[in-house]
Amino acid sequence: MAMVPPKPARNWPLWGGTIAFLVAMSWWSAHGIGFSLTELLCNSAGGTRLLQESWPPDFAFLPRLIDPFMETIYIAIVGTVVGGILSIPVAILAARNLTLGPIIWFADRNFMNILRTLPDLFWAMLFATAVGFGPVAGALALSVFTIAVISKLWSESLESIDMGMPEAVRACGGTWLQMVQFGAIPQGLQHYVSYALYAFELNVRASMVLGLVGAGGIGMILETQRANFEYERVTMIILAVLVAVLIIEQISESIRKRLA
Amino acid sequence: MSSKPGLLTPQKQIGWASWATFIIAALFVWSLLAIEFSPGRMIQVPAQVARVLSFFYPADMAYGWETVLPALAESIQIAWIGTIIAAILSLPLALFGARTLFPRIARFVKLVSATARAFPEILLAIYFVPIVGLGPFAGALAIGISSIGMLTKLGSEVVESIDFGPVEAVEASGGSRILALRYAVVPQVLPEIVAHWLFRFELNIRASAVLGVVGAGGVGGVLLNTLRYRHFEKAAAVLLLTIIVVLIIDMVSGEIRRKIIRS
Repeated sequence: MAMVPPKPARNWPLWGGTIAFLVAMSWWSAHGIGFSLTELLCNSAGGTRLLQESWPPDFAFLPRLIDPFMETIYIAIVGTVVGGILSIPVAILAARNLTLGPIIWFADRNFMNILRTLPDLFWAMLFATAVGFGPVAGALALSVFTIAVISKLWSESLESIDMGMPEAVRACGGTWLQMVQFGAIPQGLQHYVSYALYAFELNVRASMVLGLVGAGGIGMILETQRANFEYERVTMIILAVLVAVLIIEQISESIRKRLA
Repeated sequence: MSSKPGLLTPQKQIGWASWATFIIAALFVWSLLAIEFSPGRMIQVPAQVARVLSFFYPADMAYGWETVLPALAESIQIAWIGTIIAAILSLPLALFGARTLFPRIARFVKLVSATARAFPEILLAIYFVPIVGLGPFAGALAIGISSIGMLTKLGSEVVESIDFGPVEAVEASGGSRILALRYAVVPQVLPEIVAHWLFRFELNIRASAVLGVVGAGGVGGVLLNTLRYRHFEKAAAVLLLTIIVVLIIDMVSGEIRRKIIRS
């Protein structure tokens, strides 16, 4: 018995505090949102009626979806390309080993974090107000969203590059721009392409719902059909969106795997 | 071949890279034309954005304290309940979705989680709103269901990467598969899985913020209304408070995640 090691002692105050916090937070939240199983059960009749109405999907509606669907893809392409280009300087200046100085690094890092706090649909609402309803607002919103996604991921992978090459360029008398161009970007390029494809996947997904706030694409049709409770059409739109998103993701993922 | 000996210049890789650039550029221009984003329109954009931004000042903070903070609290509550639902349901799914432990069931679990992942929260909310009524409860259910997919995927990846020694030790001393899960698998994977839960909570805060657009509670509906009625000072309060609250939650949650992973 002497061989049995003692059980590690638990830090009871920490455990108790954590559990108390979790319970309190859950109680506050459940209370706040009116979480009740009775409501769920009482409404189940209405729920089943809705589900019956939304099935089968209205396949006759499908041809009318082609144009808005293409618009969605255009929005995603423009957003990814514009955001992808703009994210290059943002990411480089936010990488600690490449940036131009502590002040620029700090400012850029915070800029990036603030961009990341707002969800894509908030940007869409803002741009729809500023430049008017339509696909241009959506493309601008996705550009901002893309900057947030790519620059965060890429600046982290740029921080882990081999600094030998950039230092060699510097030692030969190269300027900062030449150091970035010949020392840093070639090492980070593969990651950049893979993050850009990932951002494109996110953008295709996001551009499907941008129309809910009037920023163009297939979401605008979704919003009108939803407001009229035409649920067999809503189901059709959502099914079409899902199939398209899954296909695009498969293609993009296989390209990313080949790059890695 | 043609390079002189002693002068080793790297061969430039023209080929697929320049083709890809060319195709992307062509698609980009075509898309720009299709959404009628002409150069004339592009020039106007900065001025238009600046004009609207100028209306945002000063932010109407009285509105902020009265209406926006409760709405933000509701968004946090939606995200919390959604994350709890997803965490509880995804833990067993993550174990059964590990290819190394349950090769047959795992394939099925992975299929289910991929399907759940494909639905954006807001599309699920469109269905839940008529089922459970307008309000935050619908939002919490939508967030919960759509988070299950990602948490199951990440969780089962963690389980697949464990050290198999303890599992074999439990089984060699006569323990069942279930006991092996309890004493050999869960203690190894729990810290990382909890970190994933926290990360998902951070994402869910952003997701729940937009659910108000379809009437599922939270701060998104407030922003949509203020912008629709052109109450820009009120919209500024919404944006300001959202940024601050999300930044604080991100910082706290990120710090806890780092502590959990390190310990």
